[in-house]
Order: sequence, then C-alpha cells, then structure tokens
Amino acid sequence: MAKRIELDSGLAKAAVWSGIALIVAMIVAQGFLMHFIPPPSPALSAKELAQRFIDRRDEIRLGCLIQCIFWSFWATWCMAITIFIRKMERGWPILTYSSIALQGGGYVFFILIPMTWGVIAFRPETLDPAVMQIMNDWVWFDFLFTWPPFALWMAVIGLAIIKDHNVPTLYPRWVAYLNFWCAILIFPAGLIVFFRDGLFAYNGIGAFWIPFAIFFGWMIAMSVLTLQAIDREKTRQSENEPAMASV
Amino acid sequence: MTALLRTPATAVWVVLITATAVSWTLGTQHGTHDHKLASVIILLIAFIKVRLVGMYFMELREAPNVLRGLFEAYCLIVCTLLVTVFLWL
Amino acid sequence: MQPTTTRPSPAVAAKKIPGEEGVWIFILGDVCVFAVFFTYYLVQRSKHVDLFDLSQSALNKNFGAVNTVLLLISSLLVVLAVRAMRVAERTLGQRLIVGAFICGVAFIIVKVFEYSERIAAHQIPTTNGFFLLYFVLTGLHLFHLIIGLGVLTALFFLARKADLSEHQWAFFEGGACFWHMVDLLWLVLFPLIFLVR
Repeated sequence: MAKRIELDSGLAKAAVWSGIALIVAMIVAQGFLMHFIPPPSPALSAKELAQRFIDRRDEIRLGCLIQCIFWSFWATWCMAITIFIRKMERGWPILTYSSIALQGGGYVFFILIPMTWGVIAFRPETLDPAVMQIMNDWVWFDFLFTWPPFALWMAVIGLAIIKDHNVPTLYPRWVAYLNFWCAILIFPAGLIVFFRDGLFAYNGIGAFWIPFAIFFGWMIAMSVLTLQAIDREKTRQSENEPAMASV
Repeated sequence: MTALLRTPATAVWVVLITATAVSWTLGTQHGTHDHKLASVIILLIAFIKVRLVGMYFMELREAPNVLRGLFEAYCLIVCTLLVTVFLWL
Repeated sequence: MQPTTTRPSPAVAAKKIPGEEGVWIFILGDVCVFAVFFTYYLVQRSKHVDLFDLSQSALNKNFGAVNTVLLLISSLLVVLAVRAMRVAERTLGQRLIVGAFICGVAFIIVKVFEYSERIAAHQIPTTNGFFLLYFVLTGLHLFHLIIGLGVLTALFFLARKADLSEHQWAFFEGGACFWHMVDLLWLVLFPLIFLVR
C-alpha cells in the first residue's frame, strides 16, 4: 500500500507568491530605481554608459541589494511547479531532476546581474569606462543570452503535462502547448550577440522586449495556473482520493 | 494507397502545386514594367494557399466554428494588412 | 473486426477540433507572431524600397520554389499518414511519415546550399536590413522546421503502437497540424521575401 503524502498547500502557495514578489521587486528595483528597464543601448559610448552609473549610483546600489534578495525566490517559485512535475511523471523522476538542474542555474544567472551592477556602481567615478562597458554588456548577456536553460525547462514542463498520467491531469493539457510556445518565443534573446542596434540589439524589441514580456508573462500565467492546480489538489485530498498521492 | 488518395485534400494539393508554379512564373518574370500588380496577385495567391492548407490539410473545415473562424479571420486580416502596407506605405 | 485505431470519418462525425485545444493556442499564437514579422518586413521595405528590391534580386528563387514544393509534398504525405492511421494501416502510416521526414531533410539541404551561396557572395545578416530580415525570418522558419522533424519523429514512434489512447490521437493529429503550419509559414515567406517587389 503506497504511503499517503499530502501537499502542504500553504507552503506551495507561498512558493508561487514568492515568484510574484520577484517580479514586483524587479519592476521596482530594476525599472524605477535603476532605470534599467529597458536596457541602456549597446550603441552608447563607454563614457555615456559610465555617466549613467555615476548619475544613479545610489539608486543602483540600493536596487542591487533588493534584487539580490528577490532573485533568490526564483528557486522557491520553480519548486512549486516542480513538485507537480514530480506527481505528473511516473517512475524514475528524470523530468523532475532535469527541472531542478535547469532551475538551479537560474537564480545564479539572476543574482549575478545585480551583483555585477553593484560592483560597477561601487566605484563608478574611478573605474575605467571601457571596463564598465564590458561589465554592463556582460550583465545584459547574462540576462538575455542565457535563455536556453529556461526554454528547455519550459519544454520539460510541457512534456511533463503531455505525459501526465493523472486523471484528470494536474494542469489542463493546453498549458503544455503554452509552455512549448513560450520556449520557442524567447529564443530571439540569443541574437543579441550579433547586433549593437536595431531590432535584435539587447535593448531592441525583438531581442529584449518580446522575450522579456513572454518570460515574465509566462511566470505570471504559470503562477495563476499553479495556484489553481494547488487548489484542485487540496480539494482532491480533502475528498480523500488516494489515487495520485503515492510517490 | 489509392483509397487514401481519394480525398479532397489530394485535389487541393494539385491546386497548391499549380498555384506555386503560377506565383513563381509571375515572380521571376523580368521586364521593366511595374511589378506591383504581379506582387499583389502573388500575395493573394499565397493566402489562398494558406487557407487551403488550413481547411483541407489541417481539417479546419470540420472544426468548430470558433476555431475555423479564427483561422479564416487570420487569413483575411493578415492578407489585407500585407497588401495594404505593400501598396500604400 | 473493428480495428481499435479507427476514428469516425470526418464527414460523419460532429464538428471536432483537429488535435486538441492546446495545439491551437500554440499554432495560432505562432502564426500571429510570424504575421507581425511579415508586416515588419514590408514596413522596413517601404522605407528602403530600392535597397530591398536590389538585394532581393540576389536571392536564388529556384531554391525557394523547390523548397515550397518539398514542403507541399511532405504535407500531403502527412495528410495521407493520418488517413492511414485512421484505418489502422500502421505500416503505411509510418512509411508516409518517413517520407515527410525525408522531404524535411531535403529542405534543410537546399537551405544549406542557399545560405552558402549568400555567404559566399558576402550577403550576411549584418550586410543590410534586407539580409538581416531574410536570415532572421528564414532562420526562424528553419528552427520551426527542425522542431517539426522532432515532432514527426514522435509521430513515427506513436504510429508503431497498436492502440492509441485519446490523448495520443490528439497528439498525433496536433503534431500533423504543426507540420502543416511549418508548410503554411513557408507558403507566405517564399513569395513575400523572394518574389514580392
């Protein structure tokens, strides 16, 4: 007889909401404080870019502190979804473990962003503008060019939903296709290495705004869908259905 | 195999190939005359082909009206948009 | 004996979503994104008409036309494969899928020749606005086609099963629709980028 394992819906929902907090913090810190949504143009000269760090030095430092805290929630947010992946797959948990591995890189990439900006804003007046430019470029590449593991995780989520053996499925099947679609759509972020201006520069519509909107739109959508899935599971448990609770 | 081929989709396929040949002929003709008319025809043919693929290959003819409607609307709107931008911008 | 994989023929059945709803979120979403790109292409062209027309004349229209025919053939084969599966002709279905796959590979080979010609002529994405859009649009399409080959592979393995569940049928039809979408996108891309001027 399989052991009955319950979902702690309070913790699971908190994990989902931590992701929403991440998004709000990003808009406040990176957008309003640091003025880095959208990114400064890669076509700026090193001196112009350095001036931006000097002008908003204090806001950037504060924003970076906030961001280092809130990007950590990427890990908790992802786990809310991963526990569902664990329940959707049967047998040896390859999709679950792939998910954990793919997400693990995520918050490292994310935290390196404010950390690097923090380093740049540490002594912007005396640091060589050319060095600052490289570091800033590096940050935007870290933000955008690292899209593949995220796309891959979206595909893993989609695959897990397609292969979900539960009846009814833990997520509606169309969510799988939503994930596949988002996975494809964030790929233009990879084109930033070829262009310093225009559509596919790292401040361009094609390489920044579209992947940015898709990625955070996806986070919001998956948050809503996961909260709904948690509610459904709570109802299922309270109705005492043992079917899907076994590990 | 012949039984499989006995479906409207096969006839549609012949139309699609023919339409491709027509477009290609129109598109590769050389000459100093204004190519705008030919281009508009090429665009219209393209979206007729798109609609045929949707209706007969993707089987939207038998789909619920909402889905079929969305696809038909897409063909109409995008075709109109592209022809308009081509001619008037 | 009623084969277990038989589905009612479309003429008899009530209105039915090909595949399942989720597939259509994906397909409609994708074609809308491409529509944005198509429009962007023509808008950019309107700002640099002579540049675009001149650059376009360097393209190999024959390769493009051959690719269109290849995809049309592959789509027909996929249509036939679905029909074969519906009457439990699994082996034939598999062979038809392989045929479609080969057409897809042929498309890629032609595309490689096409891109090589452009690169040899120093026409690369950073040459000018036309070639940027040419490579991005055809590249994005190629990306979808490669994914489509993966989908066809999944369909091939599905076709080997004696018995498809309702979800597996939905995936089979949905996968077929995805391939048709790859075809459909090229049906617009080729005339738009290669022929319209």
